[in-house]
Amino acid sequence: MSHSEVQNLLLLGGILFALGLIGFLTRRSLILMFLSLETMLSGVSLNLIVFSKYHQNYQGQILAVMVLTISACEAAIALAMVVSLYRRKATLDVQAWDDLSETILPKSTSGDYQDLEHEENYPKLSPAGLDPLDRPVPSSMQASLDQDQKTSPIVSEVNQRA
Amino acid sequence: MNPLPIDPKNLPLVNGDPFQGNLAQILLMVILLGAVAYLLLQHGLIKSKMMAWAGAGLFAFAALMAFTSIPMQLDSLVRMCFSILAVAGGIAFITTREPVHAALGFATAVLSSCGVMFMQSAYFIAAATMIVYAGATIIIFLFVLMFAQKAQLQWYDVQLTSPVIATVVATSLLLAIAWSVSESGEILPVKLDLTRPYSLAETGPSPGTVMPPVPEASMTQEQLNAFVPAKTSGLGRSMFTDYLLAIELAGTVLLVATLGAIVLAQKPERDLS
Repeated sequence: MSHSEVQNLLLLGGILFALGLIGFLTRRSLILMFLSLETMLSGVSLNLIVFSKYHQNYQGQILAVMVLTISACEAAIALAMVVSLYRRKATLDVQAWDDLSETILPKSTSGDYQDLEHEENYPKLSPAGLDPLDRPVPSSMQASLDQDQKTSPIVSEVNQRA
Repeated sequence: MNPLPIDPKNLPLVNGDPFQGNLAQILLMVILLGAVAYLLLQHGLIKSKMMAWAGAGLFAFAALMAFTSIPMQLDSLVRMCFSILAVAGGIAFITTREPVHAALGFATAVLSSCGVMFMQSAYFIAAATMIVYAGATIIIFLFVLMFAQKAQLQWYDVQLTSPVIATVVATSLLLAIAWSVSESGEILPVKLDLTRPYSLAETGPSPGTVMPPVPEASMTQEQLNAFVPAKTSGLGRSMFTDYLLAIELAGTVLLVATLGAIVLAQKPERDLS
């Protein structure tokens, strides 16, 4: 195994790591951030395997087995967390959970960040009846407090007792 | 205590070639990668087809430069093809808009790096990585993605968090890696470091856990025929003798993670009171 071959393969591991780093720093979807982490880990295990071949023993491969195990554990737990977070806010955006961090830090630094209000994922009732803002009730059918006070027998009875 | 089955001093040393001076090509590749990433990540993901074509052209140029820097042998050509596929999958992973396409790019990158691992005689790791990453992880990720994905693209799929800073950080990290990797001088292949405490120095490796030596270019064909590839059985023997405790620990961690995932993913019971 020549020297330049080792160099090229180590550089490949480094490139995979750097691409995963870019993905982790830029993506905002929770799932894609975890996939970027897995990319970084695959670059690391490639590095370990190249050195294992170069030194002609199995220590690097054993370490790669450990990395594989830990990444499988991380994927399982991360996906369970993503599912339970999605149940809370019905979004995969990582910045929906910004309020878990320090509150004195400034908000997102990216340019045109739409500040959406994320509501809890409550069930919604379908609207029934007329929307008073859309179609105003005609004035003849509007209830008026003053007229009711004059004409209502209950109100006059109450007034008499008082 | 077993005596050392193979004296480490008598193992044939792999002669590293002297540094061949491809630092310029490596740095060119890195800088081109940085340019590609910056171009594609500029203010959100790919917006125009022109930008995508420019990025693809730059990548093809970098790949060509990489091809010219290797010797024209079949194994190095295949290895370089796998490497270029891996890098292309990684770039597709960070630049596509659709999350499913990004997951497919990730699968491409991982499968190609598995090919590289296979050529490094890490057969077990390559197979396990294929099963775990490309089989289990990708399937579960796609499952969650389809569970949580809306019909059309969401704005958080397209918007990026400070792409310029991330690209600069990653490119400088890659430059540092390339600089240290392409440092001139040999890395001496150390068979067994007998000076370190808590290594295999006290007991020595179990029999059969040292890889067979690697053929060199200067050998004759008869000498080359004598070599057999490294066996997976050696890895298994080393795993269950020298590193038994670590492997048991990994199994325990897997069990705990499984329990944690089950507990975390349970639907919370509604409070009816």
